Amino acid sequence: MAHPSQLGLQDAASPVMEELLHFHDHALMIVLLISTLVLYIIVSMVSTKLTNKYILDSQEIEIVWTILPAVILILIALPSLRILYLMDEINDPHLTIKAMGHQWYWSYEYTDYEDLGFDSYMVPTQDLVPGQFRLLETDHRMVVPMESPIRVLVSAEDVLHSWAVPALGVKMDAVPGRLNQTAFIVSRPGVFYGQCSEICGANHSFMPIVVEAVPLVHFENWSSLMLEDA
Amino acid sequence: MADEEHNGKKQGFKLMGILDIQSTACAREALLHGAGGSLVAGLLHFLATSRVKRSFDIGFAGFFLTTLGSWCYCRYNNAVLRVQQRVIQEGIKNKVMYEGTSIDPTRKPKADEKSS
Repeated sequence: MAHPSQLGLQDAASPVMEELLHFHDHALMIVLLISTLVLYIIVSMVSTKLTNKYILDSQEIEIVWTILPAVILILIALPSLRILYLMDEINDPHLTIKAMGHQWYWSYEYTDYEDLGFDSYMVPTQDLVPGQFRLLETDHRMVVPMESPIRVLVSAEDVLHSWAVPALGVKMDAVPGRLNQTAFIVSRPGVFYGQCSEICGANHSFMPIVVEAVPLVHFENWSSLMLEDA
Repeated sequence: MADEEHNGKKQGFKLMGILDIQSTACAREALLHGAGGSLVAGLLHFLATSRVKRSFDIGFAGFFLTTLGSWCYCRYNNAVLRVQQRVIQEGIKNKVMYEGTSIDPTRKPKADEKSS
């Protein structure tokens, strides 16, 4: 999760998010260079004593400020398109989970092998135990095996919601009557937090998402326990 | 837990408060190359023309182009290395899984399998 007053992106927990982090650094460096250039030009223009009211054209500078931006745009577009196509690659998922948005909670269904389903409500602030995060914890987490391609089918039962987990680089709109698909691989074990990302009513800010990535053996144990409790 | 990590390591320098130079790959090298390129370009122009203001402009242009070029070159090589690293990791993982089975790609076919 984000730490207090964090400005940048969270640490990546999936290969796609790692690539997005690298691309973000690349784009940010270019933006900072251009901003420095603009600042320098502004200072230069404001502080000069030279005035020439009769400058009509200058071929050299026109060529520079046409070619250079085109080159910079290409330098940004190439890695961007690479990641775009990387995110759309067909990966054979080991597990499919349905995430359904409701007002105001998420429900998860693991129906590949057995019928396992549960609701995931936010833990109210007064019920938190020390060490838990306010407005982020849920009573039941979406547990997934790590290092396995996971497919998530996202939809909604009532109004628009959006299922987002920043550390995994995943966000998908939950539209009633529509099934949206997203996929990810969790590279390391851990607990990853997200929040509903489409305005959905009074408690839009209070329906978080928690994904817990565990080794496959622990995932199997967890699913057996959940089936027994159901 | 986050506080302990922050106390343990030095606070990195953040360019314009956003880009962490120390933890971002290629950032430090690109900026140092840019600074060097700026000095060289500005100095050479001044020595050739003795125009101070224009030499500053040339120096800044040198900084911009050198930083951009160094950054893009380093990031490209970094991306190629990352892809290779991922391929090698997959190969190691698969080798551990498939070793000794019939689908091990490094398995040499036995003599009786060759004849049949």
